[in-house]
Amino acid sequence: MTSKRAVKGEYIETDTGNKVSRRSQIIGTTNIILGGKTVIQAEVIIRGDLLRAHQNGAEKQGTPVAVAIGRYCFFSKGCELRPPGKVYKGWFSHYPLKIADHVFIGASSVIEAALIGSHVSIGANCTIGKFAILKDYVKVLDGTVVPPNMVVPSFSIVAGRPGRVVGEIAEGEVEGMDLREIYRGIGNG
Amino acid sequence: MSSKRASMMPPPPKPPTTLASSLIIAEHASLTGTHLIALGANTAIHPRTKLISTFASITVGSNCILSERSIIGLQSEPENAIESEGLVLEDSVVVETGAVVEARCVGTGTTVEVGARIGKGAVVGKHCKIGPLSEIGEGEEIPDFTVIFGNGMRRIDRSGVENQKLKTIARQVEVLRKLIPSNLAKFQ
Repeated sequence: MTSKRAVKGEYIETDTGNKVSRRSQIIGTTNIILGGKTVIQAEVIIRGDLLRAHQNGAEKQGTPVAVAIGRYCFFSKGCELRPPGKVYKGWFSHYPLKIADHVFIGASSVIEAALIGSHVSIGANCTIGKFAILKDYVKVLDGTVVPPNMVVPSFSIVAGRPGRVVGEIAEGEVEGMDLREIYRGIGNG
Repeated sequence: MSSKRASMMPPPPKPPTTLASSLIIAEHASLTGTHLIALGANTAIHPRTKLISTFASITVGSNCILSERSIIGLQSEPENAIESEGLVLEDSVVVETGAVVEARCVGTGTTVEVGARIGKGAVVGKHCKIGPLSEIGEGEEIPDFTVIFGNGMRRIDRSGVENQKLKTIARQVEVLRKLIPSNLAKFQ
């Protein structure tokens, strides 16, 4: 791109291969870690500003992290990542939201989990409650409300309001959960 | 970015406002409409929250938290005199992400969780909890201490922890005060 007049594509590609939509709403960018090759579509909100609160005296060490995301994650249009908050020992604080690799989040879902493992697929219009933990290879069907603090074991399928484990992922189905292909399919072309 | 084209549309009308000096309001919040919007002390308004006073006034009490993408205010013409009286959120009301509140009144200490919708003219009592993605119809009245969860299931929660919950909200507001840069002047 030499000319300023060049047609701007929808996505900005970073050095580590993240494809971030120009129409995403990322707040507190300095507190977000992207592992690389992650796609962030339009109207996605990432609340990097909701940092861990430090009590008077205890100074923070290193760079603060509000949202940590691994490689090959895919955030569909209109979803939101929001670090959860709670009172612990009399202090209110937000806690980091950690997402591992190959995680797919469907459109308009709101994620307030503490931890999402690798190869997790979350459908559209889901609500993942505060401090929920989804282990590796979990599938959350569309419209599910995962209640706060729920821990979902590996290879489970979760559905319903409130969300319950409704089935298991058979070993043969695991291959479909690799996101490298859809990453390549996203671009400005 | 200088290359960004400005919108050709005239900016939406700025509503008359009464803002408390201790209000926390993010720059990217939006207040639109023609009726009065009154926001109380120690209330936190996240970025991308929409308050629409096109059809009726909005009054928000103190210690409230309004989260991003939530929409507060009537979205269509009021059908009767009661609805046109305006929308009141009492103190310590928490509205979470993506919730839509068109209610006439939401009582103290009530939490409206992610993506819930409260219809026009509804009255929600004190210390209620409206679960994620649940809906309350137009003109419905919800008694105090109601918890709405799942697919419209209801129960009354009399566990008596209201005061602790109010304290938690107050602490949360204090933390948000440090995290959200407030831009009061933009909305005055």
